Amino acid sequence: MSYEVKQQVVAPIRNAFTYLIERNGDRPATRYEEATIDLQPTENFHYRPLWDPAHEIYDVDYSALKLSDPYSFLDPRQYYYFPYVVNRAGLLESFGASLSYLESRGLLAALDSSWSEVMSHEILPLRHYEAGAQLITQLGSRFAYGTSIEQAASFSAFDRMGLAQMISRVGISLESGSSEILGEAKHAWISSPNLQGLRRMVEELLIEGDWAIALMGLDQIDRIIYPLVWMHLDDVAVKSGAGAFSLIAQHFATWYKDQRKWLDALIRAWVADPVYGLANTAILSEAVTTSSRRAERAVAEFAEAFRPLDANCPATVAELASAARSALSALGIEGK
Amino acid sequence: MAKLSMKERYAALTRDLDWDFDYVDSKEVFPYTTFEGIKIHDWSKWEDPFRLTVDSYFKYQAEKDRRLYAVLDSFAQSQGHLSLHEARYLNAMKLFLQGVTPLEYAAHRHFAFLARFLDSGGPRFAALCQSIDELRHAQTEIHTLSNYNKYYSGFHSWPKMHDRVWYLSVPKSFFDDAISSGPFEFLTAISFSFEYLLTNLLFVPFMSGASFNGDLPTMTFGFSAQSDESRHMTLGLESIRFLLEQDPDNVPIVQGWIDKWFWRSYRVTALVAGMMDYMLPRKVMSWKEAFELYFEEQMMGSLFKDLAYYGIRPPAHVGDAIAEKEHLSHQVYWTLYSFSFAAAFTTTVPDPAELEWLSQTYPESFDKLYRPRWERAAEITEGGGRFFFQGLPQLCQVCQIPMLFTEPGDPTTICQRHSNFNGENFDFCSDGCKSIFDKEPEKYIQAWLPVHQIFQGNCGGPSVPEVLDWYGIQEGDNAEYLGSKDNLNWLSWHDDSAK
Repeated sequence: MSYEVKQQVVAPIRNAFTYLIERNGDRPATRYEEATIDLQPTENFHYRPLWDPAHEIYDVDYSALKLSDPYSFLDPRQYYYFPYVVNRAGLLESFGASLSYLESRGLLAALDSSWSEVMSHEILPLRHYEAGAQLITQLGSRFAYGTSIEQAASFSAFDRMGLAQMISRVGISLESGSSEILGEAKHAWISSPNLQGLRRMVEELLIEGDWAIALMGLDQIDRIIYPLVWMHLDDVAVKSGAGAFSLIAQHFATWYKDQRKWLDALIRAWVADPVYGLANTAILSEAVTTSSRRAERAVAEFAEAFRPLDANCPATVAELASAARSALSALGIEGK
Repeated sequence: MAKLSMKERYAALTRDLDWDFDYVDSKEVFPYTTFEGIKIHDWSKWEDPFRLTVDSYFKYQAEKDRRLYAVLDSFAQSQGHLSLHEARYLNAMKLFLQGVTPLEYAAHRHFAFLARFLDSGGPRFAALCQSIDELRHAQTEIHTLSNYNKYYSGFHSWPKMHDRVWYLSVPKSFFDDAISSGPFEFLTAISFSFEYLLTNLLFVPFMSGASFNGDLPTMTFGFSAQSDESRHMTLGLESIRFLLEQDPDNVPIVQGWIDKWFWRSYRVTALVAGMMDYMLPRKVMSWKEAFELYFEEQMMGSLFKDLAYYGIRPPAHVGDAIAEKEHLSHQVYWTLYSFSFAAAFTTTVPDPAELEWLSQTYPESFDKLYRPRWERAAEITEGGGRFFFQGLPQLCQVCQIPMLFTEPGDPTTICQRHSNFNGENFDFCSDGCKSIFDKEPEKYIQAWLPVHQIFQGNCGGPSVPEVLDWYGIQEGDNAEYLGSKDNLNWLSWHDDSAK
């Protein structure tokens, strides 16, 4: 049974903004569409940037990768600000709950020496990897052409800052509220030989001027390092009784699955573009070939430090790198 | 091992994430922080304007947005637009969606530039938060106003209008000017001048107007944005303090930017002045009162006294702004009234009660100078006509407002200034705009001036209907309010005799 409330109803004179009707047909628009499509100006810019007079304020030529219609890419997660922050508030809240539990039971302090060594000198330095990832991704937030792409990049960049803070908070917890261990972690990032391949690659991506090529370079590292550290090592932790690490790792793995959704959709859109598809595919193949081999070497060096926990780690890196290449090949990107 | 203080913990989570680069030159990573001549010796002196970490950011923002969207949904479901004070009020919101929302979006994009290119993690993190805050504001404004778009004219093509329509090139060129500047000038322009110095005259009047005229969603948006805005204002003030304290050589540079951006922002507020005094059926306060309270009292009387310590004086031409407070809104709205056949909002002669309010709030100027115009316009309307200006206005090369302002101290003579650059003549509405041009002529000669563009044949064609079509303006969007589609719909929706 239900009752019926009589309501004064006035018929709308139009269903949606004109530019959304022109694109989608005469139907009400979703909030994602309203929040995204055609927000970025495309014409009649008044002044050339003093910091880059060769370009317009928004310019398709900020990247070699192009879409004939920027809105052929739409975020499959349909994230605009509201659902994005709601989702991430949930992620950070569960992470916070895990961390509080670990603290309250002293579980981080109870990790055995091989695990706590890896935590302090290998995992914690990744806060700087994430901070670098924020800077690399941020370039797309400013220079990607079209709101759908830059919005997803903006959220991803903000995510990376969040991930850097999550790792840092693990460090602060490890030492019950002090930061010496974070200083050691920074020292390791700067001087441990096995981290230099990673650091060098991050720094070099920071001077790559093409935001999309830089992001693809970062993604080649992510495609190996995320499954290695936050998934494979999680399995190792569960088997070796280091459940504390697993409680932390799950949140990073959750984030990475979400990250894949928009980035793979963007790669698909680049490859499928009716005008630029072939050129995009060639550029992506070139960029991926250069950076995926480097990423594999860098992560392999990094993973040497995990041998005490898992003798198989180096082989795992090779497997993950090969899986990453297969995943790209499934998207239409063949390395050379 | 000492426990971290709050300040240290925040640093560990933000600026301590930085490291010194060894494999690349940091000048290549951060290439844009030196060309403006600003000298930074020690970023560690930067005081974080707020201490919000990513987890608490998500928590607060998600809570605020849940509440806001609940209001938007219930307003839409209950046909809340019918309880507005009057449909005419929505002209203010049309101006807001066409003129201000795109600026929020532009701010989102360019704070992302600062979040990438400032060479210290502390200010970068503040810029990072502001970048996605501004995206929030753009999107929540769109969602707030999209419900009105379903029932009223003038909202339907706002992005295209922002890029094309003559009066919207005023806010657009303003923000393009800031974005195309270097990072420290952008901070001075947007964080300091726009967000701190003049926000109560630019952004807040729309929110207060909403509250006075029954627009619950916009008012709720305004409250919801308040805590974000206070973070942005704090960033503006801290940026200025930091730049001034870093090196005495920064002082004249910053002073030049304050001079420029005060006048540039102030000219954008001219549209707000017209909105406050004429578009709101229920007035909040007059432009003059707002200017006296929020600018003369709070900024001149307090902020600039504090900044004198650093050797900063009040902005150049501030006297001209003070002198025209009796005239600004009347001159602007008369222009909007005269050209509203080419606008995406409607205008009308103030009703008798409004004329009375204008007389009382502007005793020095209204009855003498401006009431006679409205009486004449009313006579024309009574005779079945409608006064519109025939032809296209001449625009100021810098602020892009039609040359409508009068000489300081002489409200009957139009102010006109000129400069010659590379053998070409350029026109300005004021000494403020002329001096901005004279310092950077290479920049301002690039301006996309809507009237020039029409004459050059870049706007759909030579006739008014062709230009309006190119603007995306549809019948009902423009011209006179009385008898317009919005007016007639409103009357029929509120016609009790029909029920």
